[in-house]
Amino acid sequence: MIAPGWFREDRLPHIYCTGCGNGTVINCTLGAVEEMGWKRNETIFVSGIGCSSRAPGYILTDSLHTTHGRALAFATGVKMAQPDLNVVVFTGDGDLAAIGGNHFIHACRRNVDMTVICMNNHIYGMTGGQGSPTTPPGAISTTTPYGASEPAFDLAELAVAAGANYVARWTSYHVKELTKAVAAGMQTPGLAFIEVRTQCPTNYGRHNKLRRVSDMIEHLRSHAMLVDKYNRLTAEGKPVPDGTFTVGELVRRNRPAMGVKR
Amino acid sequence: MKLVIDESRCKGCNLCVLVCPYGIFGEGTELNSRGIVSPVLDRPERCTNCRLQALYGRMLCGVCHMICPDQAIAWVEEKPFEPHRVEVEF
Repeated sequence: MIAPGWFREDRLPHIYCTGCGNGTVINCTLGAVEEMGWKRNETIFVSGIGCSSRAPGYILTDSLHTTHGRALAFATGVKMAQPDLNVVVFTGDGDLAAIGGNHFIHACRRNVDMTVICMNNHIYGMTGGQGSPTTPPGAISTTTPYGASEPAFDLAELAVAAGANYVARWTSYHVKELTKAVAAGMQTPGLAFIEVRTQCPTNYGRHNKLRRVSDMIEHLRSHAMLVDKYNRLTAEGKPVPDGTFTVGELVRRNRPAMGVKR
Repeated sequence: MKLVIDESRCKGCNLCVLVCPYGIFGEGTELNSRGIVSPVLDRPERCTNCRLQALYGRMLCGVCHMICPDQAIAWVEEKPFEPHRVEVEF
């Protein structure tokens, strides 16, 4: 077990389905927290509603389990009241992109000093697999039974455009890189946004011919492309395969930030 | 060090089978007491972390440990082998 002092061991095993990637993301986050040497009474985990937002319930620190989509609003309040706290926000794609979309872009614009980890599983997993703003075109969910017809939201690019100081994207297969990215985001003053593409074999994979966990992980791994390679291919005018998404550090900059530790 | 799978937490997703570079984990065949087929270990002493963690003083590889969504994989300290008497009753 990673970071043994940080888990509520009496609450384990957690409620996530077999093969859910959210547990991996908790591991990587706590690995990064341990690397940073943060103390338990100076760290707070904030979450909204959804599968991903159950995560702080398994971590032995103070946490806020808030209303749907409003995790960033609550986290901004925490950071403004107590700038010395280390704030980490766990959200899902439905939480962050759908109902909390405006909170997200304004938290990025204000550049509040916190780390936002979005577990993007392409679906509303907890409520039974409804299509979310990040469901890829053509994917089948319970509300898009003939395949999603709308283009999907690219959350990391949205955060870059809205002005976050550190933006990275990885998948739950890339555990070492994800841990390094979360640690780098925690070190950066200002809002650090890490989008993690996770597998949801129960509600996403089951409808999309990716029922086995290994199929879903293989799908994520084969469709991930490093951002340098993507830039090189597009600069050379070569075609990029369909359905690929960029992974890696998308931006690291130094815009003025709010609520940085004194 | 010794590699162990905590049977009370494992949900049998077989992610460790997919990522282990040594192929130590294999898909199990028998249900345990919780009704879950957890992976079986094939010669776990080959694991680099089992062999060299004490020498280097840090975690080596550890990908299965990081990717396990149920926090079920751990390394435990192994006592040196102590010969013990086995009593056989006739």
